[in-house]
Amino acid sequence: MDESNHWYGHSRILSGYCGLPDDTPKRIQGFLQHGWNYLHGFPPNDHWCSPGYPRFIWSDVLRRRGWSMGRRGHYLIGAPWIYLLHQEPGLGRIPEAERRGTIWYPFHGWEKSSVHGDHAKLAAEIREVEQGPVTVCLYWLEFANPAIRRAYRSAGFRVICHGERGSRWDGNGRDFLRGQLTELRRHRRVASNRLGSALFYGASVGCDIAVYGDPMQYEDERPEYGGTARRMRLWPELHGVEVDRAQAAEVARRELGFDYQATPEELVRMFGWKRVGVA
Amino acid sequence: MSEAPENVRLIGGEMLLWSDASCATDWGDAALELVRRLLPAGGRVLLAGPHPPALVDEVAAHAATVATLLRSYPDACALAERLPRLEVYCGDLAAFTAGAAYDLVLALDGLQRTHSAEAPAPSWRGALAVLAGAVAPGGRLVLAVRNDLGVDRFVEARPGDREGSDAQWAPHGFDPTYPNGVGALGGELESAGLAVEWRYSAYPGHEAPRALLAREALDLPEALMVPLSGCGGDQVLVADPLHLTRLAFSHGLGEDLAPLWLTVASRPPADGARGAGDGQRLPLGLVEDGTVVREIARAGEEWVTRRLPDGAAQPVPAGRLVEEVLVEACVREDVRAVRELLAGVAAWVEAGGDVTAAADSLVWDGERFEAVTPGPAPAEIPSERAVFSRIAWRFAVRLLAAGHHHPWPWPQDPVRLALTLCDMAGRPCDQADLDRGRKLDAELGRPAELGQAAPTYRDLIGARERLADQLTAALARVARLETRLTYRERELTKARAKLKRARQRATAYRRTLGSQLSRRLTRRLARPRAVARKVLRRLSG
Repeated sequence: MDESNHWYGHSRILSGYCGLPDDTPKRIQGFLQHGWNYLHGFPPNDHWCSPGYPRFIWSDVLRRRGWSMGRRGHYLIGAPWIYLLHQEPGLGRIPEAERRGTIWYPFHGWEKSSVHGDHAKLAAEIREVEQGPVTVCLYWLEFANPAIRRAYRSAGFRVICHGERGSRWDGNGRDFLRGQLTELRRHRRVASNRLGSALFYGASVGCDIAVYGDPMQYEDERPEYGGTARRMRLWPELHGVEVDRAQAAEVARRELGFDYQATPEELVRMFGWKRVGVA
Repeated sequence: MSEAPENVRLIGGEMLLWSDASCATDWGDAALELVRRLLPAGGRVLLAGPHPPALVDEVAAHAATVATLLRSYPDACALAERLPRLEVYCGDLAAFTAGAAYDLVLALDGLQRTHSAEAPAPSWRGALAVLAGAVAPGGRLVLAVRNDLGVDRFVEARPGDREGSDAQWAPHGFDPTYPNGVGALGGELESAGLAVEWRYSAYPGHEAPRALLAREALDLPEALMVPLSGCGGDQVLVADPLHLTRLAFSHGLGEDLAPLWLTVASRPPADGARGAGDGQRLPLGLVEDGTVVREIARAGEEWVTRRLPDGAAQPVPAGRLVEEVLVEACVREDVRAVRELLAGVAAWVEAGGDVTAAADSLVWDGERFEAVTPGPAPAEIPSERAVFSRIAWRFAVRLLAAGHHHPWPWPQDPVRLALTLCDMAGRPCDQADLDRGRKLDAELGRPAELGQAAPTYRDLIGARERLADQLTAALARVARLETRLTYRERELTKARAKLKRARQRATAYRRTLGSQLSRRLTRRLARPRAVARKVLRRLSG
């Protein structure tokens, strides 16, 4: 269907949830939202989401916004992350008292658009704010850039990467989210310079969250999102060095769509993974 | 997102990619007249939700402080730029907190378009509570509420509200607090601490109301019905609006079946103070017909109309509408009655009758014809032929548009029908006369227009639209699969070319080595399974 359905091992996680082998995930007959987003679950130029196929999205606000923008066929199932948590209740879990330090996710570009910002300055700011050990997790594109790696390493941070997001045909992204879950469960805090999936994932597994530092800019940031100012207006309570944990967990619950978890049988039908006779 | 003008305040829940400019209730001059009479001198006014630009301009020109609340960001910026003195709040009504209360709160578009997609839709009652909270003691709230059982619903063939349009991410039909009648509406307003002063029924439709009638004006004479039943161009009719509206009124259901209610309610003033509405009488009725607004009033037992702003009161003539009598005759194929009545009208025109009258604004009491609301004659007095051909044209169009039965064999040709009607009246006209008649009709405002589609049935249209959606989806699927197919074919071609190259290489090796060995080697390499079997056999043996 679309390559993005298989990113971050999403289709494999859902296969596993449905009790199917996850070596070569099947095609999902629809479009799976692949990251947290505050438009309608997909990028503004979503013409590739052909009508007639469901849009599997994470939360109801995306449906309402999408509807107002002429999109139809939303199907709420919540984030693949919640299915991972369902399958891996104990993965990487350590006693609460042993969780240490902060995992920091600088806002990243992607394969077709890079981000502009001063990483050294950001590293200095992180050093100033964070009390304990800091792990900086970079997207593979930034991780491949020695200058960026150096900017964080020289500040004394551990620098890691969860790997490529992968595809249906290679096993690259297979353990992306599992690795992320393990890391998040080891840390006490998760922080970033922009609100994003990683923060909500962290908040959903008991991390404190923080959003601070230069939010950086895409080369061609789309105006439809409304920019940093709109994120600040929508979630003022989630921005800052200290954020109320319960509030963050509640927002994460809503944004990741924990209330919309579907049963395996329902997913098998909706994804077209069940053979049906044609009348 | 571009920078907002200084007078725009973002309160939360603003919709960036949205505009209500084209879908807000299109109030005309009748509502403008009512608002003009309600504007408090030097008071504070709040316009909640989208309003027509003319109305906003009028309020902005006369009130001391004017604030508006819009959910659409582009609309808010456009309005703020156009009227820099205005305070423009942009966002969801639930996020709106009025600093000081307002002397007049106008919500002429209702409450539907005050909540945004950013938050779950509030109940109608919840939204009313917020708005009522913004009304100062002694101040007024003017609120429009669409009637879910309005007469316009019965007339329109397509499903209500074009079910599933982009604005309906949370259709109000499932909100149990939405008032299901005028009584319930009054109760809701009282619960919100407001006393209902005036209650108007708005006709002919909820999208573009052109007439406002107070409860006391609901036993209207038939002569005044026509402006209440106009139908817009974007309608697919299943019934004749005039006929249905007339029935609603004659059954005493004019208020219950009104497409929209407009209520004027006030918050009781603080002790001893005077309220905004003390001693003020609002009009019994305001009716807009073309470019003219008339006030309906009573003079003793008689109904009178007065052309605004400064016309004299004119009694409303008694009798039946000529159009109604003609339709009845057509339905029973009584061509003789049609001939006689049309001839009578033609004679009346020739005897100096009102040149602006037509069958739908002319009453007949069995002996005499009289124009319901004689308008000012156009600057250039038209010829009698033009006047009569306009009457024939207008009737022909309205007859066909309403879908009544008639004795003529061409169902979709008003030109031919109009010319025939002229012939029947003994006043033969040609195409040129008819063109002059049509021109006159356009000049007088509210020209008769034939709808795009003939009357049809609800389920048929539903099925057709369903099929159209399925077809769109299927075509999109085909397009997508085509793209994938092309991509796969390209891959296949590449793979084939690769294979071909490999074969060529293998042949070349064979030729170069030319030995038995190479042949055996390549043959074995070409058949790996057979080789593997042989090896296994040897090992096991």
